[in-house]
Order: sequence, then structure tokens, then C-alpha cells
Amino acid sequence: MSNRNPILEFKNIHVQVEGKEVVRGVSLTIRAGETHAIMGPNGSGKSSLSNALMGHPSYQITRGEAFLDGRDILTMSADERSRAGLFLAFQYPLAIPGVTVANFLRSALQAHRGKEADMSDFRKLLRAKLAELEIDENFVSRYLNDGFSGGEKKRIEILQMSVLNPRMAILDETDSGLDIDALKTVAEGINRFHNDTNGVLMVTHYQRLLNYVKPEYVHVMMAGQIVTSGGPELALKLEDLGYDWLEKEPAASTGA
Amino acid sequence: MTQLSSIDYSIPEVAAELERGPKWLRDRRKLSRDAFNRTPVPPRGLHLWRYTDPMRFLFERGSVSDSAFDRDKDAVHQLGARYLRDGHLSAFVSDLAGRDVQIQTTEELTARSVVVSPLSEAVDQHRELVELYLYQLINQQTGKFEAMNGALWNDGIFVYVPNNTVVEQPIHLLREAGQAHSAQFPRLLVVVGKNAELTLIDEYSGGSTSTDDGITYSNGAVEIFGMQESRIRYVSVQRQAPGVQSYLTHRARIERGATMLTIPLAFGAAISKQNFGVIMNGPSADSKMYGLLFGTDHQQFDNHTLHHHAHGHTTSNIDFKVVLGDKATSAYTGLIRIDHNAEFCEAYQENRNLLLNPGTRADSIPELEILNEEVTCTHGATVGPIDPMQLFYLNSRGIHKPEAVRMVVSGFVASTLKMVSDDLRERITQIVEQRLEAI
Ligand SMILES: Nc1ncnc2c1ncn2[C@@H]1O[C@H](COP(=O)(O)OP(=O)(O)OP(=O)(O)O)[C@@H](O)[C@H]1O
Ligand SMILES: [Mg+2]
Repeated sequence: MSNRNPILEFKNIHVQVEGKEVVRGVSLTIRAGETHAIMGPNGSGKSSLSNALMGHPSYQITRGEAFLDGRDILTMSADERSRAGLFLAFQYPLAIPGVTVANFLRSALQAHRGKEADMSDFRKLLRAKLAELEIDENFVSRYLNDGFSGGEKKRIEILQMSVLNPRMAILDETDSGLDIDALKTVAEGINRFHNDTNGVLMVTHYQRLLNYVKPEYVHVMMAGQIVTSGGPELALKLEDLGYDWLEKEPAASTGA
Repeated sequence: MTQLSSIDYSIPEVAAELERGPKWLRDRRKLSRDAFNRTPVPPRGLHLWRYTDPMRFLFERGSVSDSAFDRDKDAVHQLGARYLRDGHLSAFVSDLAGRDVQIQTTEELTARSVVVSPLSEAVDQHRELVELYLYQLINQQTGKFEAMNGALWNDGIFVYVPNNTVVEQPIHLLREAGQAHSAQFPRLLVVVGKNAELTLIDEYSGGSTSTDDGITYSNGAVEIFGMQESRIRYVSVQRQAPGVQSYLTHRARIERGATMLTIPLAFGAAISKQNFGVIMNGPSADSKMYGLLFGTDHQQFDNHTLHHHAHGHTTSNIDFKVVLGDKATSAYTGLIRIDHNAEFCEAYQENRNLLLNPGTRADSIPELEILNEEVTCTHGATVGPIDPMQLFYLNSRGIHKPEAVRMVVSGFVASTLKMVSDDLRERITQIVEQRLEAI
């Protein structure tokens, strides 16, 4: 497996938010075709890491390096990172009143393709993706996330992912807020997207998503560091035991 | 350049205005003239004058008030004819610098006895209505500049919709301002009968293209009366040229069960001071105001709104949005007044200001005069740049920074523009987009 190309590779990432270091030296390599999961208690820095990699202005990467397909992304602006193929499904997607989902997606697609997206092609693509994710067509004429329920927002994030078809998708708690049926639909969407040429990194608290989208690697993040990594069985162990047992073991795998 | 500080008969072009119309009107003009001459220039710091120098609205002595119109008249008329033909309007009125008022209406409108007429003709032909209503809401007591308009208005437009008559398509008034070094005093009187319905687009455009070439002075007054159960939509579009110094006072009074939707949109002029007010004069009267202004360059906007609850059980809502780029400034003063005997009123007011550059400045001054305790009233204001989190969200999907800014601003104005008809919305959207291109 390790002969596959790395899609996203970051080393010794440190992240500051509001002057506080919340990610303290995290390294990870996600290769083509791989699915990784990051788990960890609330406030351990999972979203900070994800946001910082995407170029969120509130999260400064103070040390470390990050490459997407071998290209240094830390010198890129957020929109460049996106066009380079990085995607982050946000834990708390923001509302943008007055901007419809359709208009938003079309602008995003145009930016990615560097040219006008043909209207009828775009409609076709959108309709297909909506059907796959079982999203009502009315949604596309609504304002982005404006008044959407928690679950609706998460579905729309996945819709964006499948329209943009990125090289690397980071999904930050996409499962939270989804009902049982929606979780299945969204998981199917992720599986449909995922193939041998792209990578997926999921941040989650629950095994239930991992039952549908099976990761090869599970990492546990605590207090801004990856404290242990393993296979899918690690997630099951966490489900049983929680995180307490890890706190007693000093961070062994940091910087691995 | 000396400013005209008194209106008197020794100034030929002024004398001509004062002599216009039947005796009753000439008397009213003189009352206004006297008030103008008597009223001192409002000192800076006086209520509503803190942000704008009143001298900017006193036109230069020697300016032609009988202002010439130096652009292609036919083009304006043809535009109206086209709108009418396409069936989007029921009447189109072009008012070229107050001098050449042309009215095109559908036959249907005439058949239903709806009146759309130059005010100068209506003072004779519809004397009863005009004499009763003209100057009722805006007159010599309102203020110095309102008195100025009252003395010198020329020409105006009169619109009357009889009881129980629904005017389905909008009536569009286009007031093209005259050339540099001219002054004009547009006036509008609208009377909408019981259970009648009207949509009016009142558009102000044209004028001097640069203050360096000379100023076009514009001082307008709009009076609207909505009888019981009437339904009125009034859209004011100020997109005058950059050399215009523009003043406008609007007052509407609505009676029991009437609804009034006012949409003040302002994009143009060097200085624009506008005052929109609705008086709710009977139970269940409801007024909604959705304002939007978008300033760039060194444009200066000074806007007031008034919601006056003169009767109990009335409701009002204001959402006034401001977008500023370059070095533009805006002051918004929103007054909610609830009379002593007006119980169980609801009044909401919101003013949001989006600043696109550090060089801009916006002030927001809510004013509440609530003399009755049995009311629900809220107000809120925000002033600030575009939310960087919204920009980041768009950027994170690959959308370039300038496009992301355009999208957020378009989104900000969308809920206001949703309120106007498709044709107008398209044109306004273009104006907004042109401004965003330039930023
Ligand atoms: N924008 C911010 N401003 C201030 N502090 C922040 C901000 N974002 C994160 N933090 C802080 O950084 C730390 C890590 O937060 P982060 O959101 O990355 O945790 P998380 O692992 O994603 O938690 P959860 O599982 O609850 O989503 C927390 O202490 C949090 O309070
Ligand atoms: Mg998180």
C-alpha cells in the first residue's frame, strides 16, 4: 500500500488560535485510496488542525509543512488550496444569506475549472448529485445554510464535495447531527466519491460512521497531538473504553 | 459663488415659478417662499443636520432654475414606450428636468379612471383632490428646503387611483435631471383610494456628471395618501449622476387597514440627503420599509426614516441596508414615533452597514419616541466589514477573493431586491454589479 502516492502529507504541524497553541506537532500521510479517521476528545484540536490545513484565517500554522500531491500548500491561499484539490467539510458550516446553493456551487465549479460552467451541463450534474444524496431539489434555490437544520447542512457539505470531486477530502464530524437514514445516505456518498486516486480523512467521535465508511487507519488526538494510531479495531476499543486509558500512557507515537 | 439665500421676485427665474398656477396655488407658493426666506439655514449640529452641510442644497444665484435638458429626449420616451409595449408597466412618465413631462399610459388604465397627469395640469383639472392633499404632509412648516420646494416645484406629477381599483402593473416615473448649473424641484402627489392597489416606481436620474463641471441641484418632495384598506408599493430609485446634490423629502399617510411598502434605493449623486416617512393613521395600518444604498467614490449619504404610529394597533418594520466602498460615507437616522394614545403597536427597525474599505464611514442613529407603554419595539444596528468567515467559506470552495466579496455583497442586498419587480431588479442588480466591479 505504501507504494501508492501520498495525496496529503503533513509534518510536525503546530497551530495557534488566539495566541494559544492547540495543535502541537502532528504528522500524517494519506495516500491515494486510503481512508483515515481521527478521533479524540472534545477540544483536542481536530477541527483546528483541519481548519488550519484549509487556510482558515483564525488558525495560524506556526511550524511544520504540508503538501498536497507534493505541492506545498502552506504558501497558498484558501481558494488556491481548494483549486489544488483540498476539501474540508466543516463541522459548523456557516450561513451565507442571499447566496443560493446553486449559485454558490456553480461559482465554485467555475473557479475550479477556470471557465464558465455550461448551464445545462451544470444542471445535469447537480441534479444527479442531488438524487444520489437524496436532497430535495428545492434546496438549491435556498440560501446557503440559511435556516438549514444541522443534518441538512452536513448533507450540503457532502453535496459540495461530490460536485467538486477533490483529491483530498477532510470531513470534520460530518456524521454528527445526521439521523440514521441520513447517515447511511451520506456514507454512501462518501464511498461513491472515494476511489484509488483520492484520499479521505474523517474526524469523528462515533463508530457508527466507521461501520459504513471503513478506515484503514485510526488516529487518536489528545491535547493537540496524535497519541496513538492503529487499524479499525482501535475505534472499537475507544467505543468501549473511552479515552481514559490513553491518558495514562504518555504520547508514544508523536511525530511518527 | 453666492448662494441663493432668499427667494424674491427680483430674481427672474424664481419670480416665474412663483407665478405659476391658479390663485390658491400661488398663495401656497408664497407661504412657502416666506417661510423659506424667514427660516435660517439650519445650523450644523441641529437635529438631522449633523452629517451634511445645508449650504450644499442652496443653489447658486444665477443658476437656471428653468433647467435645460441637454440629452436625447427621444431615447427616454422610447424607453417608456418599450416598457409599455412589453406589458410590464401600466404607465410611463418621463419628466425631463421638470419641463417636458410626457405621459404614456395603457388604455386599460385610462378606462378605469386612473389619473396620471402633470401636477401643473392637475391643479386645475383635479383641483378638489390636489388642493386638499398637496402640501398636507410636506409644507412650509416642514423645513427650509421643503419650503423651497413648496415655492418653486416645477413640474410635478399627480397620480390618483379611484376606490376599489387595482392597478396591476407598475407606474414608472422617470425624472431626468437637467444639466450642470441648474436646479430643479420635482414634486409628486399620489392619492390611492379605498381598497385600491398601486405599485409606483419613482426613479431619479441624470444631471451633471461631475461637480467640477458644475452642480445640478435637485430638491424633491413626495406626498402619498393611502385610504382605508389600500395597498401601495412605492419604490424610489435615486441614481442621479455624480455632479448632483440631491435632497428629497417623502411622506406617506395610510389609513385603517392600509398597507404600505416603501423601498428607498439610492446609488447616485455627490451628496444625497433623503427623508422617508410613513404615518400610520388608522388601526391595522402596516408599513414596511426596505431600504438600500450603495455608495462609492466620495459619495455622501444622509438618510432618515420615520415610522410614526399615530394610531393604536398599527405595525411597522424597517430594514435599511448600507454598502459603502472607496471613501463613501453614510449616516442613517431612524426614528420610530409612537403617539401617546397609540396602544398595542409593533415597530421594528434594523440598520445594517457593510463597509468594503477602511476609508468608508457609517453612522447609525436609532431614535425612539415612544409615548405609550403598551407597545413592542425593537431596533438594531450593525456596522462592519464583510464577515471574514463568510469569505473563507467561499474561498475554501475555490472561489477567488474578489468574486467571493461580490457574492457576499450580492447576498447582503438580495433580500431587499427580492421585493421589487423582475425588470427593475435586473436593472438594480446591474447597478450593484457595476459598483462591485469598480471596487
Ligand atoms: N476560533 C477559536 N477561538 C478560540 N479558541 C478556539 C477557536 N477554535 C478552537 N479553539 C480552541 O482550541 C482548542 C481545540 O479546539 P478544536 O475545535 O480544534 O477541538 P476539536 O478537537 O475539534 O473538538 P470537538 O470534538 O469538540 O469538535 C479548544 O480549546 C478550543 O476552545
Ligand atoms: Mg471539532
